[in-house]
Amino acid sequence: MSAVDYPVDEDEQTLLERIQDEPGPALKLLAVVVPLFAVEFGAVASLVMSLPWSAVGSALPGFLQGLAGALAGVGDALANLPTLLSRSVIDNSGYQLPSGEWVGTTLGLSPAVAWLLRVLLVYAYGFAWMAVGWWVYLVYRDNYRYADWAPVDDMVNRFRNHSWGLLGLAIIFAFVVLALFAPALGPTTVEANISDPYLHTVEYFDEEAGSVQEIYVGDANRDSQSRGQGGDNVGPLSYDQFGRFHPFGTLPSGKDLFTFMAAGARVSLFIGVLSLLIAGGIAVTFALATAYYKGLVDLGVVIASDSIQSLPQLLFIMLASFVLSGTWLANLYSGGVVLALLFGFTGWPGLWRAVRGPALQVSEREWIDAAKSFGQRPSVTMRKHMLPYVVGYLLIYASLTLGGVIIGVAGLSFLGLGINAPTPEWGRAVSAGQPYVPTQSWHISLIPGIMVVIVVTGFNALGDGIRDAIDPQSDVGTGQQDESAAAGGGA
Amino acid sequence: MSQQPERGDTGLAGLDCAPGETLLSVRDLRTYYESGDLIGGQPVKAVDGVSFDVKKGETIGVVGESGCGKTTLGRTLVRLEAATGGEVRVGSDDVTELSGEDLKAWRRNAQVVFQDPESSLNDRMTIGEIIREPLDVHDWGTPAERRARVRDLLEKVGLQEEHYYRYPHQFSGGQRQRIGIARALALEPEFVVLDEPVSALDVSVQAQILNLLMDLQDELGLTYLFIAHDLSVVRHICDRVAVMYLGNVMELGPTDELFEDPANPYTRALLSAVPEPDPTAEIDRMTLRGTPPSPRDPPEGCAFSTRCPVKIRPDGSDEVDESTWEAVEVFRETLRARSRTERSLSERARELIGLETRFATVDEVVGELFTDRDIPVSVKEPVDQAADLAREGDEDAALEHLKGELGSVCDHESPEDHAVGTEGRESRCHRHAAEYEEPSAVGPSVGGED
Ligand code: SF4
Repeated sequence: MSAVDYPVDEDEQTLLERIQDEPGPALKLLAVVVPLFAVEFGAVASLVMSLPWSAVGSALPGFLQGLAGALAGVGDALANLPTLLSRSVIDNSGYQLPSGEWVGTTLGLSPAVAWLLRVLLVYAYGFAWMAVGWWVYLVYRDNYRYADWAPVDDMVNRFRNHSWGLLGLAIIFAFVVLALFAPALGPTTVEANISDPYLHTVEYFDEEAGSVQEIYVGDANRDSQSRGQGGDNVGPLSYDQFGRFHPFGTLPSGKDLFTFMAAGARVSLFIGVLSLLIAGGIAVTFALATAYYKGLVDLGVVIASDSIQSLPQLLFIMLASFVLSGTWLANLYSGGVVLALLFGFTGWPGLWRAVRGPALQVSEREWIDAAKSFGQRPSVTMRKHMLPYVVGYLLIYASLTLGGVIIGVAGLSFLGLGINAPTPEWGRAVSAGQPYVPTQSWHISLIPGIMVVIVVTGFNALGDGIRDAIDPQSDVGTGQQDESAAAGGGA
Repeated sequence: MSQQPERGDTGLAGLDCAPGETLLSVRDLRTYYESGDLIGGQPVKAVDGVSFDVKKGETIGVVGESGCGKTTLGRTLVRLEAATGGEVRVGSDDVTELSGEDLKAWRRNAQVVFQDPESSLNDRMTIGEIIREPLDVHDWGTPAERRARVRDLLEKVGLQEEHYYRYPHQFSGGQRQRIGIARALALEPEFVVLDEPVSALDVSVQAQILNLLMDLQDELGLTYLFIAHDLSVVRHICDRVAVMYLGNVMELGPTDELFEDPANPYTRALLSAVPEPDPTAEIDRMTLRGTPPSPRDPPEGCAFSTRCPVKIRPDGSDEVDESTWEAVEVFRETLRARSRTERSLSERARELIGLETRFATVDEVVGELFTDRDIPVSVKEPVDQAADLAREGDEDAALEHLKGELGSVCDHESPEDHAVGTEGRESRCHRHAAEYEEPSAVGPSVGGED
């Protein structure tokens, strides 16, 4: 077949050309995105610089090494740029003079107020990015997309009117910001307060001596313990005797619970997301392949998934993490990587089962036959004609499963397995506080416990919202036709 | 508007023949599906030995009840199903065995328009992307040329260029079918399988789509295989018609002649089921008893023998009256139904201890069919014997016995294709052989023959 000199009278423009034709909305967007990015540029740069560049640099030929060194210098300089959300912008560490005046904190604010302001700032920043994401969608939809209407618009609208799903989104948003900005959110840091308390000091005003004293954090922690009945207790929203503010109180060891929780959120989110990427990737690949090829491929995966599902997942993970505990793998991210791998490789059968049905259903649609009839490659058919219908279901079940993984990790840590101490993990806080639940130190167990419940509920609500948004009914059944939308055209 | 691009080689020598010459010759084509069970099980014989030619530029219709294998036949021709046996010749090539570049050429030249426009378009792609996909797969021209071609195609099927960036949800069933047609025509195919292209559409829209298809055929010199269960549509659009039953082509011939003077008993039954335009016309409707047998286990002789109203009787049964024969056939049909139905363990147990089950007992069936009848011994003995076997739960043996004793040539031998009518028409029935009476002589009159 030849297509030589097929008459082309008009052509489609690329997205870039369309933006060039009508730059207004895009420029406005840029005017907001650039400053938003700039205020945190230092953090991004330091993240980049924290990668093992020296290994790359030494592998380069000589004349490039000089260049690389110069680049590294620039990078380090950039990484040291002040950022909006660093702890020093609003500092909450200081001491209180007998007069009640605070020294060392930003503007002499009390640590509680300073901390709260920083938290608000961080969440405002996170919210700004979310708003920008929404704005990008609107600008693209209204200004640069050729299609006036796309199926995704309906899904977005359905989700926007789904209050339960929006609540879930809000909870997950709060959780993700807590995890991402954990170092900036805590009243102190993990290094200073939890992992290396004897390498850091705090200043406080000693009433007896009548002067400002310096003390190791470790020593200070010993006097800020929460040990229930008859013992010391530093409850939520209170100061300890060293002028340190503890929004969630302290752990039995005297360490700050909020800092612990924020860092723990990072660990949980990391394990949850990594394990679901693994499980979801396997599940969706298998689901598409089994639905497309059916027969023996399907049978093979059924057998594989059945054998994995016949294992009691948590018991197996306990056993495996115990077996792997001596290896290098177990030390990656304090054991988080091992847990993520184990949850991922044991979790895919559940997800696969959940998306197999939808995948089989879409594989029966005639457009798959149509693609086969003109010789489309199987991999493209699966990606273009099946994946879009499966990925929604994957999101639903992934968000439901994520809650389960978080509970699982918390449970393992509660039992003393899972994440190695002293790396924070919510389950360990629950476990540490368990003996004190009926006492004045109830907060140690209860706050992390309630947060697990809230986050898991949030993921479930989000999953519900997504399910109603993709509205499987309209996809599988006979979709309603909007006759008026396509006026003209005959038949 | 559109300028036809220079038509190059189709890629398969046999496709470049002149109009009227044989484009495809299908010979003894068989497509069996493996049964769902992994161990043993009979395959489903969806297409079971079909032969016919397709001439370039014609529209050949394939009609039959649902489940007769017509859709599988169409799908096998475009290589959506793998043939189990037989061949589909295009020139010197056998379509069922093409691979590599040749298969690619065939895929380019053989397209399908599907039945259900709701299901044949991917709702997550724009119309432009849908119609463009075949062009992308076959690396047709440059991207800009592809887009221009899609716009031409949209216009050609009666849609508008602006529809390029719309989604299928925004179109009615008829419009969606137009999009499906545009996609099928994108690669300028020679041969298009139309798989009940209008049966899912409103009656008011059907005619528009059929007219569009005929216009496109005239314009582009397309060859159609038109699959349908609606006889009136076939009569309207097809040059020749093949009537299928249980994986077999029972009759094949020029449309008008076949409708005016159907030769095969099955065609006659099918046509007599079509409501007459004139309701006052008193005709003796041929009604079909029972349901088609399972394609897993088709009858040994003629495919239609289990239901044929004019089935040939065995030799020496002239003294047996019509209604008794009818009763024998009903008895056999009942036994077949029983042997097909799975019975649960508890039902078997109830049967064993003589309790009632949802199955009428053999005695009840025999009683109802044969009491008050004066049955000659030649019939009574095999029936009693079969009833005994069935009572023991061995319906298959009972059926074998009846077939051996009371079966005719229709039960034992597969009929040949006999030439009937005037020009190139064939019918698969023993009654066309010289020693038997023609179906039209024994059955009620059908079609325009009276
Ligand atoms: S061969 Fe016998 S059973 Fe088959 S159609 Fe002809 S008469 Fe009927």
